[in-house]
Amino acid sequence: MLAFDRVSKVYKLKGVKKVILDEMTFQFPENRNVAIMGKNGAGKSTMMRLMAGSEPPTTGHVYRSLRVSWPLGFAGGFNGSMTGIENIRFVSRIYGQDTERVIDYVKDFAELGPSIRLPIKTYSNGMKARLAFGLSMAINFNVYLIDEITAVGDQTFRKKSNAVFQEKLKSSQIIMVSHSQNTIREYCDCGLLLDKGRVTFYDDVGDLLKAYKSL
Amino acid sequence: MNTAELLTLQLRVILSLVLRETRATFGTSSFGYAWAVITPTASVAVLVILFSLIGRHAPFGSSLALFFATGILTLQFFTEISGKLMTVFDANRALLTYPIIKDVDTILARTLLISATYFVIMLIFYSCLILVGMAELPVHPEHLVMVFCATAYLGLGYGTVNAVIASLWDTWMQIEKVLTRPLFFISGIFYVPSQLPQTAQTVLQWNPVLHLVEWFRYGFYSNYNSSILNVYYPLIVATILFLFGLAGERLFRRSRF
Repeated sequence: MLAFDRVSKVYKLKGVKKVILDEMTFQFPENRNVAIMGKNGAGKSTMMRLMAGSEPPTTGHVYRSLRVSWPLGFAGGFNGSMTGIENIRFVSRIYGQDTERVIDYVKDFAELGPSIRLPIKTYSNGMKARLAFGLSMAINFNVYLIDEITAVGDQTFRKKSNAVFQEKLKSSQIIMVSHSQNTIREYCDCGLLLDKGRVTFYDDVGDLLKAYKSL
Repeated sequence: MNTAELLTLQLRVILSLVLRETRATFGTSSFGYAWAVITPTASVAVLVILFSLIGRHAPFGSSLALFFATGILTLQFFTEISGKLMTVFDANRALLTYPIIKDVDTILARTLLISATYFVIMLIFYSCLILVGMAELPVHPEHLVMVFCATAYLGLGYGTVNAVIASLWDTWMQIEKVLTRPLFFISGIFYVPSQLPQTAQTVLQWNPVLHLVEWFRYGFYSNYNSSILNVYYPLIVATILFLFGLAGERLFRRSRF
């Protein structure tokens, strides 16, 4: 189960109070792939962090009984001065994975070549995304949270990630933030639209995209 | 998950964090760690030399270096932990992307790493003193181990409270520095507290760091009869501070984000 119970998220910075989510209650359907759409700053990424448990809500509760991945976005928790390998080791250690297996998997998947032995700060956004993506795919989660990351890489990389994804989808579920209609049509079968702290559920992706366009 | 699984998970996370922090703090070269050991050792050595030059005699025993080191290294170890923990929440914010890591893990990991470093520092420093004949072998080595752990514990307790206050109120970082500065003078570093007038003793005995210094000297010297030392006092203060710190961490967790 992955559910939000009257969750509000408010950021206060320099005296400005910004309400991102307002008393949101929602239970994610199981075994369905959910898209999350909304304008910039609508709170999509915040919602992802709340789902993962990277951040607590201001009020309310998030209930989570599944193994949920960390929010897969650009570079999130990588340490820039550590090399790719060192970052992979760290993440596999905290998740109790066989470090060498994960390194081999990511090497093979992300195709970073010798760069994998260089500090992350020398990487391009695309390379970071490939590393993050490969790393999370090497670990088994029930739910993968994907934040705008699939659109990276060239044609061959996208083909490859698509294949891995389809394999994962047999046993896991994805929740994805994206602005791209094609990506959402490809992976998701239902979706949420976030607007002004409120959320609307669409059972059909077509309806979701229509509503998103009319925002 | 049952308790055993949760404990293994926490231990795994803390150890991974220690390894990562070692790498992040000391850089790529193996010499990075050497510097972390050399700098505090050298600063104590300089103070000892200065005091010898102005012709001071050891207030207790025959070695000024040993007497001084038992005081200053203990204080340094304590302030290093409590000071470094102050910034622990901010410094590790990016790590919380991985929901499996919690703030308390980063606190414990940092404490472990500093303790390991100071273990090496003290080992080197006291071994050198013994080798060049400026100190005898410690009389109660088991007490040295205990007081080392107690110092880490007091640093952890005070540091956790510091971290919570600093996360709510930035200015605390500056104020805390001013507040702890007098510790150098009131922790018995360059005098024997038992030889002070009674009135001074009754005031100073409230300082838990002073008890740690006294405890350390009790472990090293054969006849260091402290009239102040109560080994339970720093442990009790540490426990109270740590519990307050943990409660504060939990209580104000939502407002940190």
